[in-house]
Amino acid sequence: MSSTDATVAISEEMAARDDMIVCQNVDKWYGDFQALKGVSATVKEKEVVVVLGPSGSGKSTWIRCINRLEVHQGGTIMVDGVELTNDLRNIEKIRSEVGMVFQQFNLFPHLTVLENITLAPIWVRKKPRPDAEALGMQLLERVGIPEQAEKFPGQLSGGQQQRVAIARSLAMEPRVMLFDEPTSALDPEMIKEVLDVMKDLALGGMTMIVVTHEMGFAREVADRIIFMESGEIVETGTPEHFFTAPEEDRTKLFLSQIL
Amino acid sequence: MTDITTSEPEVSDQPALPPEEPSLPIGEWTRKNLFSSPGNAILTVVFSVLVLAAFRVLVNFMFENPERDWVSIKFNMRLLFAHAYPVSQFSRVWASLGMVVGLGALSLALWPGGGVKSIKRISTSLMSAGGIIALGTLMVNGALSRDDAGEVLFTEDFEAIRDSWASSLGGRGSWFLLAALLFGAGLALWVKFGDQRRSVFVPTVRLLYVTVGLLIASLWVVKYGHYGVRGDGTFVIKPDSLVAFSTRMPLTVLFVLAGLIYLVGVRLRGVDAVKIAVTAGWALSPFIAFWVILRDPDIDYTHVFNTDLPMFVAFAVFGGALLYALSSPKIGELGRLIAMAMVGVAGFTFVSAFFGWISMLQKARLSFVALAVFALMANNFTRDLRTRRNFVIAWVVAIGVMHYFITIMNSASTLELRSDTIVGGFVFTIFAAVFGLMFSFPLGVLLALARTSTLPIFRLLATWFIEFVRGVPFITVLFFFDIMLPLFLPEGMEAPGMAATVLGLVLFSAAYLAENVRGGLQSVRRGQFEAADALGLTTPQRTMFIVLPQSLRVSIPPLVGQAIATYKETSLFAIIGVFDFLRIANSVIPNQSTPVNFVGHKLEGLLFISLVYWLGTFTMSKYSQSLEKKLGVGDR
Repeated sequence: MSSTDATVAISEEMAARDDMIVCQNVDKWYGDFQALKGVSATVKEKEVVVVLGPSGSGKSTWIRCINRLEVHQGGTIMVDGVELTNDLRNIEKIRSEVGMVFQQFNLFPHLTVLENITLAPIWVRKKPRPDAEALGMQLLERVGIPEQAEKFPGQLSGGQQQRVAIARSLAMEPRVMLFDEPTSALDPEMIKEVLDVMKDLALGGMTMIVVTHEMGFAREVADRIIFMESGEIVETGTPEHFFTAPEEDRTKLFLSQIL
Repeated sequence: MTDITTSEPEVSDQPALPPEEPSLPIGEWTRKNLFSSPGNAILTVVFSVLVLAAFRVLVNFMFENPERDWVSIKFNMRLLFAHAYPVSQFSRVWASLGMVVGLGALSLALWPGGGVKSIKRISTSLMSAGGIIALGTLMVNGALSRDDAGEVLFTEDFEAIRDSWASSLGGRGSWFLLAALLFGAGLALWVKFGDQRRSVFVPTVRLLYVTVGLLIASLWVVKYGHYGVRGDGTFVIKPDSLVAFSTRMPLTVLFVLAGLIYLVGVRLRGVDAVKIAVTAGWALSPFIAFWVILRDPDIDYTHVFNTDLPMFVAFAVFGGALLYALSSPKIGELGRLIAMAMVGVAGFTFVSAFFGWISMLQKARLSFVALAVFALMANNFTRDLRTRRNFVIAWVVAIGVMHYFITIMNSASTLELRSDTIVGGFVFTIFAAVFGLMFSFPLGVLLALARTSTLPIFRLLATWFIEFVRGVPFITVLFFFDIMLPLFLPEGMEAPGMAATVLGLVLFSAAYLAENVRGGLQSVRRGQFEAADALGLTTPQRTMFIVLPQSLRVSIPPLVGQAIATYKETSLFAIIGVFDFLRIANSVIPNQSTPVNFVGHKLEGLLFISLVYWLGTFTMSKYSQSLEKKLGVGDR
């Protein structure tokens, strides 16, 4: 009991009221390999944070720790004032508040587009089916493909599938959205349609953490950019600062390679 | 996909059809497909000769062969299908069959599906059937000479005396007529539809109905012969007569009924309540059939109504209420105490039986044990009202199935004979296969889930069970359940031999099914688990809605393979003394000397049961193919 009291105390002390995600010294190992080395970062409500960095730098691992798809071994992660522990109830609560969009879409191939979207609202949020379906159609309108509702994911293009995946996450009415390289598996001509949806979402005031290689998107939409390398946060700043006057050598090297 | 710049392929648009390939004239087709190169030509000739030779051996094995006596099959048809089931009670078997046929017709109407066949395909099938029959008739040796009693005449060298081949042909006019009819029908279709024969389709279901209809109609016209033993022990042998009225009439009624039910079903299409009722009907049908066929005509209904039903209702209602209370989220430690108390009560009922303090039906004791087990699980179902309700429903279903089986098995007598002697022949094969599969499928899925579970106890138990059962020959399992299991049962409970051994079949088949399902589980990609987790689905929800549907879909081919194997494995019951289909053909008929002498006529029976087994497996495999197509296995 005492440890719980302690964490509550810390959370009240540390977290300002509009802090959505607070990470403190998060460590993560895969076997002997340390993927995250004391990552500390705070994401405020309605903030759009883009995470950049070379592959293998721990970007994806970090955001996957935030909804506990990966279990961190050191430090604390707090989402909307709830600490991530092994307590199953906390995990389920956080997962229903944090939406995630994957690189490979991960739509459920045996369900129609609309069923993909309504499954979790019906079973997790206990929404009546008609309400969930109305919400699903509304979200499909929002991502621009209401006419595909009765099709199966395999019948859609990559861009359409990713938009369905975004709608599926939004159907849970999450407070935070995590994007794990959402456009990396797409053909070039489909990237824009997905980025447009994400931009729209950011303008609507959604709290977002986006792992991506789309520099244009980062420059235009991000409130803040976090640059990671070898499991550490190297540099944090606004897009102007990051793209025009980076301080760290490693950041400069990365930018010179990519731009 | 001609326009590669299109970013969103329009799937809904009707794609332009490819130009129709003109069908080649027969001569050209033959040259292109059979004689395209010298090697190909040699293969064609060699294999044609081999196939024809094998076919000739087969028809001469079956017909006009002094060693064959097909009367052994015709005469024993009832023995083969129903063994010693009393003739006076046959209406029950027909009623059960009627239930299944009705459900089948209704399902086909409610869930339209199944394939279609083009006119071209139908027409070529008819023509080749006609051709094969004509060819076979031509290949049969000359007719055997028989004396007035029908016995084959032999020369002094024990060679059968035959008419010449040419003069026998005249006596086979009916076969040639059949061949001509089939060929003619095929040709008529071919000509009538002309170029449309490839674009006009007939549903397979309708085709099947017409075929079966023609076969049943032939019972009223063609003199297949009337053979068999009557209820009073007298027997009938009338080779030049129609099939027994008591056979052709029920078959005709069933056939007409199936058609009518189908028509009604078509009108009910889209009514969800009917679909649910039919699904429930399928789930219950084996139990109803079991009840209808096996129940004692003098069953003590007062006992059923005064004891069995009230006991079930009491356990369902009071047990359900108790479990509902125990699954309340507020009950806390008290719930655990009550659950422990229930374990105590269950234990006490057995102790009291030992000392003879309280007399109680064994069924009540076992129900208390079941209640204690459910009470212990109750705190896992506190999530919300729906979960609690489902938990209570699960209890009522479980206690219902349990009481049903104990009541059935312990009724004083079943038709005044023990059930394991009364159920035999093909009826037994169906019973064992249906009950075996019905229980081994859920058990197999549970075992597979347990084996892949993260909970070590489940994983360990499931792994050991599967590895042990798969390491033991099936016949050993059968002997074990036949001989050992009755020894382990508590006093006052008896398991008819058949039930115990079918339990063995269930466990054996479940172990194999579990491995097939596990293969399917492993094929579900990690991303699917992650997506389900990221949406906040619980582990049971993830399993039910995401993982199992996908894994079962990819494991359809091996699962059907295992179902077919289980169906055929029922023939091993012959070894432990059940009078099943195989045993009757293999040992019973070849030893019959009265009222007709069939001694040594084993091959006829084996050939016949092979055909019946094959019809069953062929149906299953066709069904699995259409299921695969419907669910799109292979193209995700």
